[in-house]
Amino acid sequence: MSHFALTIIGRDRAGIVSEVTSILYQLGCNIADSSCSILGGQFSMILIISHPELDDQQKLAESFAPLEENGLSVFLRTLKPGGEEHPDLQGEICMISVYGADKPGIVYRVARELGEKQINITDLNTKLIGAKNAPVYVMMIEAILKQGVEVEDVEDWMAGLKDELQVDISVRSITPMEL
Amino acid sequence: MAAKEVLLYPNSILKELCTPIEDWDDSVATLLQDLVDTMVAAGHSVGVAAPQIGETRRALVVDVSKSKLGKKQENHGLLQMVNPKIIEREGQTVVREGCMSVPDYTGNVTRAERIVVQFQDQARQLQVIRADGFEAIAIQHEIDHLDGYLFLDRVSSLKTDLFRRK
Repeated sequence: MSHFALTIIGRDRAGIVSEVTSILYQLGCNIADSSCSILGGQFSMILIISHPELDDQQKLAESFAPLEENGLSVFLRTLKPGGEEHPDLQGEICMISVYGADKPGIVYRVARELGEKQINITDLNTKLIGAKNAPVYVMMIEAILKQGVEVEDVEDWMAGLKDELQVDISVRSITPMEL
Repeated sequence: MAAKEVLLYPNSILKELCTPIEDWDDSVATLLQDLVDTMVAAGHSVGVAAPQIGETRRALVVDVSKSKLGKKQENHGLLQMVNPKIIEREGQTVVREGCMSVPDYTGNVTRAERIVVQFQDQARQLQVIRADGFEAIAIQHEIDHLDGYLFLDRVSSLKTDLFRRK
């Protein structure tokens, strides 16, 4: 079974999901994982899809032509075998909230700090909020702490960035309660 | 008495409304022990409800004292509950929950912060206890199982609900 990554983005309006999934359904595609959301004024869809027989990316891509005609941008990529499998990520999950007056480099500096420490970011959202003359940048990061790293360690790493970027940063464990 | 296999959704038993235990025969003690054994066998999970091991009777066990989160808070240790009923709820908290019957998925669920719950213990005595924090959440989660609810029915927000208000 071939797996593909499908990304679709376009000005938000009612009916986008219906148009996209109608095509997928008629093709006989499965939607494995997906995440769709509004970013700015754009509705953005990211899907991992599969098809039991079809492995011709070109042919599959052609089926999405009607979407392009409706003002959506479509991007399709074939995954390498195994690329559809979710990695078994072990470790404590923590949420890092970063917010403050908008300025360049907030995302980069925080991400670099985490990357250098081999902390895996599993989810990241940013949003510009606040008044036009006093924009506030908000970033929420979910990350998995590798073995031996505690939430307190992340807090320590972030402390320096707080001063450097003049933002507020808080870190907390959000490891799910397994019941 | 033994650890049982934990049923996974879509097993339909997990969506059934469980019946109160009125005939207090030996099978009740067996059921409670099976629940305890299953909980311990599952790497000491913090709770198991009867339908998770295939019994549609209103019984559950909870023990948060062995878990990292639960240890930090006051708790009642092992609780064996028959016919549990929440009689008071206070406060609201959002927690990320996972469930042995729904592997590989977690979701944010709104729960009461503190509850008063009445139940019959393993000796059939009526007990009324106040629980809070992780223990209160675990009890609410397990009682949901007795009503055929999974945490999936209670998910209150996607991960990034902070951004979804506008």
